[in-house]
Amino acid sequence: MNVDIGNAVRKNEEAETSEERIVLETKDLNFYYTPEVKTLKNINISIPEKKVTAFIGPSGCGKSTLLRCFNRMNDLIPGVKLEGKIEIDGQDIYSPEVNLEDLRKKVGMVFQKSNPFPMDIWENVAFGPKVNGVTDKVELEELVVSSLKQADLWREVKDRLKTSALDLSGGQQQRLCIARALANKPEIILMDEPASALDPISTNKIEETIEELRANYTIIIVTHNMQQAARVSDYTAFLMTGDLVEFNSTSTLFTNPDEKLTEDYITGRFG
Amino acid sequence: MKSDFKKKIERSNKISKAVISFGGYGVIFSIIGIFLFLLYETIPLFYGAEIDTALSFKLSKKKHVVLSGVDQYKELSYLISNNGEIDFFNLKEKRITKKDTLPLAANEIITTGVRNSNGDISLGTDKGRILFFNLNLKPVFTGSQRRIVPQLELKKSFRSDVENPADNNGIKILAFSENDDGVLYWAWVNAEDKLLLKIYDPDEEEYFDFSLSDNLENVNVTALALNPDQESLIAGDDKGELYLFDLSDHSEPDLLDNWKAADFKITSLSFLIGNNTLIVGDKNGNVTSWFEAREKGSDELKYREVHTFKKMDSEIVNVVPSPRNRLFLVIGKNGKVELNYSTTGNTELEFSENKSRVLSASFAPKADGIFVVNSKNEVSLFKLDDEHPDVSWKTLFGKVWYEGYPGPAFVWQSTGGTDSFESKFSLIPLIFGTLKGTFYAMIFAIPIALFGAIYVSQFAPKRFAKIIKPTVEIMAALPSVVIGFLAGLYFSPLFEHHLMLIFLLSVLAPALFLILISFWGMIPERKRRTLPAYYELGFVLFVMAAVYYFSSIVSLPLEKIFFNGDLKQWLYSSLNVSYDQRNSLVVGFALGFAVIPIIFTITEDALSNVPASLSSASLALGASKWQTVKRVILPAAAGGIFAGVMLGLGRAIGETMIVLMATGNTPIMDLSPFDGFRAMSANIAVEIPEAPVDGSLYRVLFLTALLLLVFTFIINSFATYIGDKLRKKYARY
Ligand SMILES: Nc1ncnc2c1ncn2[C@@H]1O[C@H](COP(=O)(O)OP(=O)(O)OP(=O)(O)O)[C@@H](O)[C@H]1O
Ligand SMILES: [Mg+2]
Repeated sequence: MNVDIGNAVRKNEEAETSEERIVLETKDLNFYYTPEVKTLKNINISIPEKKVTAFIGPSGCGKSTLLRCFNRMNDLIPGVKLEGKIEIDGQDIYSPEVNLEDLRKKVGMVFQKSNPFPMDIWENVAFGPKVNGVTDKVELEELVVSSLKQADLWREVKDRLKTSALDLSGGQQQRLCIARALANKPEIILMDEPASALDPISTNKIEETIEELRANYTIIIVTHNMQQAARVSDYTAFLMTGDLVEFNSTSTLFTNPDEKLTEDYITGRFG
Repeated sequence: MKSDFKKKIERSNKISKAVISFGGYGVIFSIIGIFLFLLYETIPLFYGAEIDTALSFKLSKKKHVVLSGVDQYKELSYLISNNGEIDFFNLKEKRITKKDTLPLAANEIITTGVRNSNGDISLGTDKGRILFFNLNLKPVFTGSQRRIVPQLELKKSFRSDVENPADNNGIKILAFSENDDGVLYWAWVNAEDKLLLKIYDPDEEEYFDFSLSDNLENVNVTALALNPDQESLIAGDDKGELYLFDLSDHSEPDLLDNWKAADFKITSLSFLIGNNTLIVGDKNGNVTSWFEAREKGSDELKYREVHTFKKMDSEIVNVVPSPRNRLFLVIGKNGKVELNYSTTGNTELEFSENKSRVLSASFAPKADGIFVVNSKNEVSLFKLDDEHPDVSWKTLFGKVWYEGYPGPAFVWQSTGGTDSFESKFSLIPLIFGTLKGTFYAMIFAIPIALFGAIYVSQFAPKRFAKIIKPTVEIMAALPSVVIGFLAGLYFSPLFEHHLMLIFLLSVLAPALFLILISFWGMIPERKRRTLPAYYELGFVLFVMAAVYYFSSIVSLPLEKIFFNGDLKQWLYSSLNVSYDQRNSLVVGFALGFAVIPIIFTITEDALSNVPASLSSASLALGASKWQTVKRVILPAAAGGIFAGVMLGLGRAIGETMIVLMATGNTPIMDLSPFDGFRAMSANIAVEIPEAPVDGSLYRVLFLTALLLLVFTFIINSFATYIGDKLRKKYARY
């Protein structure tokens, strides 16, 4: 994989210089799908607030798994075990006091394959607020409109809010899923390869959307597309076989990685 | 080699295509075939009456026929002329094969005659004499040859005016009948307009003679009808009034009642088969039917007007009842003849005897022909085709006023003790029964099946779900006769015995259950999350057991306190609710048991098939598990759930054995859950042994089957249609 990464990275250089607050932090995180196999090994990572952090790494290295630890979606899988701590805003999200629904409201997620509900567009976006107790019509309307605008979808759907979300194109559906996550006013948005199933133009659109969201949200994005990571992220984490190999500012990681493994990977020597 | 292989594949493709299309088309054709067959068996019910002239000839000699008839094979007819001659006319050979003469005095002329279905004939003469004899046309078989042999036996002959013999006492109007005990009644009006009555009592071998005119001052009797079953006489007068005499006391006839039945002179009176319905015809051509029935809020039996038949445009001269059913002929003075059916009030057909008067008309003994002699000496035999006058859209689906009922009603009662029974073929009580059973089954089955499916597919621990599903599916394989047997013989007595407990469990238990279950909610969520899944299940089972235990303990004392120790008795005495042992609740329970697995399985599949990505999306948005189920999974599975419920409904409607065995099969229309019912399916099973092939009942049962087929067809089509729509709307994941 020979790509012109340097060019893409330059754009984000200024981001590195500002002061950062850590919003999400893992401490000695181990994760098991089955007791014998450790899928995540001793992960320590600090995700800065209102930055885009990219997770890269070869297939099966545990990027999605790590991401799903952050909103506890892994809880749904029977038999999993987690060791260590994950703190969001200083609070351990696996402690018994934590309300799962609140956590997931705070940590939104966009899936690899777009999964809009079989409802109309408006209902899709309003779903999150509704299940979290927003009943005021005006407030809902505002949330729907602003979320669609933020997800850069408003212009395209404003006249067909009452038509089925399933009639949208794949790219629009994915942006709808982003809008749906935004309607919950999350602090953190997890994106698991949000553009992997899309064509270049739709991918571009998604990236533009991320670009606009970065000022207000902490975004963690899993991607296989190194250019994409370089283009959109401020920080990049490189994982391999459950290990966090390197976590660095994107420009550093792509131009001057600390680890030999990282360099091998980004220059396409394996992966 | 390679092409060989390809050929092989092609061939097997062709074969499997042929087999599959054969199977598919076969199914469609067999369903269409069944439908057409049912239709074919049903359609004759709705054919109108038809009449065909089978034979018509002119008598060579001028005769004044007073009475005539044919035998059951319509081969031999008799014609009684007013001069006492009896001609036996062979309808096949078209000639008179035998003659006979009644013993009349010189110049004595027969004025009137009546014949009952036994062949007993009474004739009145202008000399005031009554002749009583039996005339039977008997088939005699010699080998395969059939010959109709007339048998004439003179029984009695007496002068009507024993007390005061006079020459001008000719008989104007005569009525005669005989009851099952052999009591003979004659009533007549003589030339002096006196109403006279003679009763022969076979026990005492004695005649009783009465003059009823003493009771009727200034009454001019113009028509008479005797009712041997009710031992009564009805006389009509020239003002349209009817007089009812009670003859049950042979030594003292009694005028019971008198009412106005018409606005004109009553010219004809006749009781139909079964001796309940009285047909009244008047001078103006009006025909009405009457029978004794209670009025609402009264216990008294009174003659009430039931139907008004099509008006004739001339005086009614005669009413001829059919010997088989409630058809009767009404004969107008101008030669018009109407065939009416009393149950429905319908006029089945009309025909006219070319501007000549009808002297005598009679039904063939099997009511499949009409024999008419007119004043132009023409004799006609008509072939009558009216197999099912007792069935029409109105009798099947409308209210019909049956004999003895206080008013029009939906009644199913296909057969009775006697041949003269009035069949009641209303499908409404059966449809009602089917819907009632289905309703109780569904309100029992739907919640259990639906919640069960939701629990198993969404909440239950995997291991547990793996056991429940196959278990429920085994339930579906349970033969319905076993369920029906258990319900009818085991559960219904149990139900009755523990009525209070059942009642408590259905009222108290849900409340108690909710209260106890909420204790579970009091365990902090984070604690609950760490508990193994079967703790929850164990707790639920414990609560159920506790609720049952509590209910069974308090049941008896509560019954003592509130219901005097017997809820069943209390229901009857305080609420006037009767309790059938095999009632709708028991059926609902049993039928529900059969329906639950169907709904459960399909619903569970539909729920499990909702892609995990949808529930993940919902959960990731902060929705709780229950919110996810309610807002995402249930709507997405709506098509499948709907299909499951509809299939269950179809099963409940068509189910036979369970409703047959678990209800009393009484075709009543009552919403009370403590009463039984009769479902369409069970009705077919119950009645088919009693239904003579091609009879009305037989065809009505086929109609019921057709209706069931149409019902299930509609439900399934509806299910498919709605299911598809729902799937299009929600399930395009
Ligand atoms: N539900 C599961 N149960 C058991 N093992 C799982 C499950 N999901 C993932 N794994 C395993 O965990 C490891 C990490 O998977 P994960 O999906 O996190 O990889 P990934 O880095 O996201 O890969 P990709 O880039 O292909 O998406 C893999 O070996 C995978 O097989
Ligand atoms: Mg992944």
